[in-house]
Amino acid sequence: MKISKKIVLLGHFGVGKSSLIRRFVENTFSEDYKVTIGVHIFKKNVSIPEKGTDVSLVLWDLEGNDDISNTRLSYLIGTHAFIYVYDVSRPATYKNLESELEFLKEKQKNTPITVVGNKEDLVTKTYLKQNVDDFGSLTDLYVSAKTGHKVDFLFSKLAEALI
Amino acid sequence: MNQDERLSILKDILLTDEREYAKKVEEKLKIVEDIVNKQNELSERVNPIIDEKLNDFVVEIPKTLGPTITETLKSEIRNSQDAVVEALFPIIGKMIKKYIQQEMQILSEQINSKVNSTFSFESLKRKFKSKRSGVSEADLILQELAQPILEQIMVIEKGSGIIISEYSKTQSIDQDMVSGMLTAIKSFAEDAFEKENQELSYIEYDNFHIHLQNFSSYYIAVIISGPYNVMYKSKLEDKLLDFAKNYINEYDIKDTKSFTKKLEQYFKNNVL
Repeated sequence: MKISKKIVLLGHFGVGKSSLIRRFVENTFSEDYKVTIGVHIFKKNVSIPEKGTDVSLVLWDLEGNDDISNTRLSYLIGTHAFIYVYDVSRPATYKNLESELEFLKEKQKNTPITVVGNKEDLVTKTYLKQNVDDFGSLTDLYVSAKTGHKVDFLFSKLAEALI
Repeated sequence: MNQDERLSILKDILLTDEREYAKKVEEKLKIVEDIVNKQNELSERVNPIIDEKLNDFVVEIPKTLGPTITETLKSEIRNSQDAVVEALFPIIGKMIKKYIQQEMQILSEQINSKVNSTFSFESLKRKFKSKRSGVSEADLILQELAQPILEQIMVIEKGSGIIISEYSKTQSIDQDMVSGMLTAIKSFAEDAFEKENQELSYIEYDNFHIHLQNFSSYYIAVIISGPYNVMYKSKLEDKLLDFAKNYINEYDIKDTKSFTKKLEQYFKNNVL
């Protein structure tokens, strides 16, 4: 039986939501920044050999918003999992991380949220350790859409957790 | 003066001009030889530089001159629209003519096949209908041929946009992507107008009409090609409501297989 799951990616402008999806779906990356307007839908089938099944991930790439409360709430309905993306090299994108996550939890109760620090290639490990108080405890994974580091891992683990 | 000296003087007298001439020729030959050698040496040194510059030129020209050329072309087209139309008109005209001819031929073949089956039940029924209604038989045939075609039906979960069930005669679209995008468009439109209990019910895309029938936890998207009019819409709505009310229960919504089976059975004959 075919299983489909709706995954919504959220975060500030330019944190790399679309780049993460493109890296995962098409295995491509571009330095050119193209702003997402509204929403963009992507799809990729992920095979879970341990469970002998395939999951079709329908990825909703929402336009960036510096304030999550401005997000169109109807896009969040029926979501099976959120991926909240921030840019590890831009403090403005994670300074309100805690309150933004609270907002999501309040609006979509019982929907799992994976917090991802993107652009890991731009900073050193020391930097990540130094800033652990700001985002470390809330972050599930550091990834890089540019190098592809841990991008497949992120989506595969999520797909596995959803079935 | 011995014999050798005399011979030498005689040679000088007889051959002086020729020797000078031969010497001049030799000098000129040497000059020519130098020039040729120098050119060869020069070309050996200069050719790689020219090749490199040419390669750079080929790589750089689209970057440096590309935008200028594009902009010039755009402004030329903008400023000379009449000339562009003049140039394109014969080509587009031919294309349209060919397309219309082809479509007319198909239509003519279909009409012929309908007319040829004079004694069929359908034909007799049409004749009777024509006499009774006063509409000519030709008009009735045209009406029969211009029927809307139900291309695809998708049952989509509200909110998530995940497809619950689907029925189509030809698989031509990525259902997950389309159902997701339809749901996003629906959500946006319904959110943006900020009026409660209003739902998007119709989208037109190229030659396709997408009828959206809303239910409480799901909606049905029906993709139709051909003429889509109020009468057809009304019949379709009746069919969809009948299907949802009499054939679908709450368990079917969770059971994709059962839903798809019922959907196929109900819409297989495409009779509306």
